Amino acid sequence: MTPLLEVRDLAKHYPVRSGMIIARQTGTVRAVDGVSFHVDRGETLALVGESGCGKSTTARLALRLIEPSAGSIRFEGTDVTRIGGAPLRALRRRAQIVFQDPYASLNPRMSVGDTIAEPMIVHGVGNAAARRARVEELLALVGLAPFHAARFPHEFSGGQRQRIGIARALSLRPELIVCDEPVSALDVSIQAQVVNLLKELQRRFGLAYLFIAHDLAVVKHMADRVAVMYLGRIVEIAPKRSLFAAPRHPYTRALLAAIPHPDPSGRGRVTPLGGDVPSPMAIPPGCRFHTRCAFAEDRCRVEEPPLRLVGESQVACHLAEQLPMADTAAGAGFAPNAVRRLALYAAARPGGKRP
Amino acid sequence: MTDALLRIEDLRTVFRSSGGDIPAVDGVSLEVPQGRTLGIVGESGCGKSMLSLSVMRLVPQPGRVATGRVLLDGRDLLALPNSAIRDVRGRDVAMIFQEPMTSLNPVHSIGDQIMEAMRAHDGGASNAELRERAVEALRRVRIPAPERRFTEYPHQLSGGMRQRVMIAMALACAPRLLIADEPTTALDVTVQAQILDLLRDLQAETGMSIILITHDLGVVAEMADEVAVMYAGRVVERGTAREIFEDPQHPYTLGLLGSIPRLDEERETLLAIDGTVPPPFALPPGCRFAPRCPFMISPCNDVVPPLRVVADGHLAACIRAPIEAALAP
Repeated sequence: MTPLLEVRDLAKHYPVRSGMIIARQTGTVRAVDGVSFHVDRGETLALVGESGCGKSTTARLALRLIEPSAGSIRFEGTDVTRIGGAPLRALRRRAQIVFQDPYASLNPRMSVGDTIAEPMIVHGVGNAAARRARVEELLALVGLAPFHAARFPHEFSGGQRQRIGIARALSLRPELIVCDEPVSALDVSIQAQVVNLLKELQRRFGLAYLFIAHDLAVVKHMADRVAVMYLGRIVEIAPKRSLFAAPRHPYTRALLAAIPHPDPSGRGRVTPLGGDVPSPMAIPPGCRFHTRCAFAEDRCRVEEPPLRLVGESQVACHLAEQLPMADTAAGAGFAPNAVRRLALYAAARPGGKRP
Repeated sequence: MTDALLRIEDLRTVFRSSGGDIPAVDGVSLEVPQGRTLGIVGESGCGKSMLSLSVMRLVPQPGRVATGRVLLDGRDLLALPNSAIRDVRGRDVAMIFQEPMTSLNPVHSIGDQIMEAMRAHDGGASNAELRERAVEALRRVRIPAPERRFTEYPHQLSGGMRQRVMIAMALACAPRLLIADEPTTALDVTVQAQILDLLRDLQAETGMSIILITHDLGVVAEMADEVAVMYAGRVVERGTAREIFEDPQHPYTLGLLGSIPRLDEERETLLAIDGTVPPPFALPPGCRFAPRCPFMISPCNDVVPPLRVVADGHLAACIRAPIEAALAP
């Protein structure tokens, strides 16, 4: 089956110039440095990594919002790397994006109804009455009310604004939505609402998501497969279940270990990953992660590991087979009282089932 | 408890409006034990930041603290003259915020900014002396090459490093209480783990007390000894961290727990809390959580439930707690 979206060896390099009059190129920021993946119809691929790892740049490249320096992008088997004009506009109808910051991604001077209708106007979909009807339908889909169409973004909370952004992305009935950290700016309780909404919409419309996040916990409930990025490269890509049960790359393990658990007894048990991500202007030789890796050997400092299959995971680590099993039992779970009451809570919610 | 460093008694912070006073903090009583951490948890708009600003007497206009006492070692901060409270801020009680970039001055080097904090409370020290202490402050928050970082500007640092600088500045005068308002919310999880680790270490070194404000119960579990759950300006549940996580009683606390994506469990949908926090000008008449509560019954809408003891050292403001007893046939 042809994947909905397929990118190969995608790269984005930014030249760095210095000098006031005669600017010479003095360096290169390798924001994305050879990334390949595919997203099937109706599935969610999560792209996870720390700030500066190139995940948002990858998302924008995949939609051709910025131009790649190298590599190819295929949408349903058709090469869209160099298209422009009408074919590119047609692609935009089928692939949409939801941004991270619900405060910055909505025009404060446009009513919510106009914001949601704008993609339809740009693409000449329907007449004014049909668009109005569609806006109402979309508002209902994301859990807002018809009267919200006349309101302005400042009248909404962060979670509600994100729902507006999702309604706008849905307006053209796309097949793929790139979600660029859609819940990172929200409270945990509101994150859960938005994650549940995105899953529900996926079920109803068969949407594919490329879901960008910096937190593996968030993607646990969204993703079918997970790709972990570090300094412009994918270091591990695996089906969700195997990634969480048997993380292979030391960086994946560090990301998992960093998640705070709602269990005070496990406090301070893990040593956090030290240091910061190195600058993408000065990517370390060999394995990019070796400067922060607890397992690094001489070989890791000189030879860059390629992605290769280990178990069910593609992993870029020389030592993937030799590493000790990861401790994934962290946070043994809630106490019995908490579990019992959470079950009652789940049952009492609207649509909840009795335990 | 007698060894409380900070004791907040019946604090009420209101904002003046044409329709009368609007309560942002509504009758909150809390204690911060000496050398321990109190976690205050709740969603945006529940009044937790306004509570900490009330402690520091930094409530913005047209807000004011209407009633209550804030006792630091028995001394009521709300009754102090302005000159005295300025001495308390920074020296006795320091604060760090969510977004370190907006809390740092972009046109001064970080070293100058730390020295400024020190100079404000110790005018007598020489520049060389202050400089040495500022470098030492950077070293204490585990900033590599502190002498070089001293001369750098905020934009040259990563988010995690900036938060370390904020902590260094806050601790410059060895405060006895640090108020950390969402200190890790803007950071990556890996950096969050580093910062929480650092705060734990510094607390062990200095014996300071910490008020940690967050919307994430996971972060609370990592840090807090005592926990207070706030909703719509009131404390709805409080107790030791152990009690709150092992025996959560208030439906709001359950909702916050259920919202956390768990790694050890396969669940189709997260147990989100539906709806949003009511704004302080449109509070429901009875229990403020009732409109979002799956366990709501009609008496919940009549009166605001008071905090009552549900176990030793554990209070909850819910007439139906413990819920399994209330639901039993």
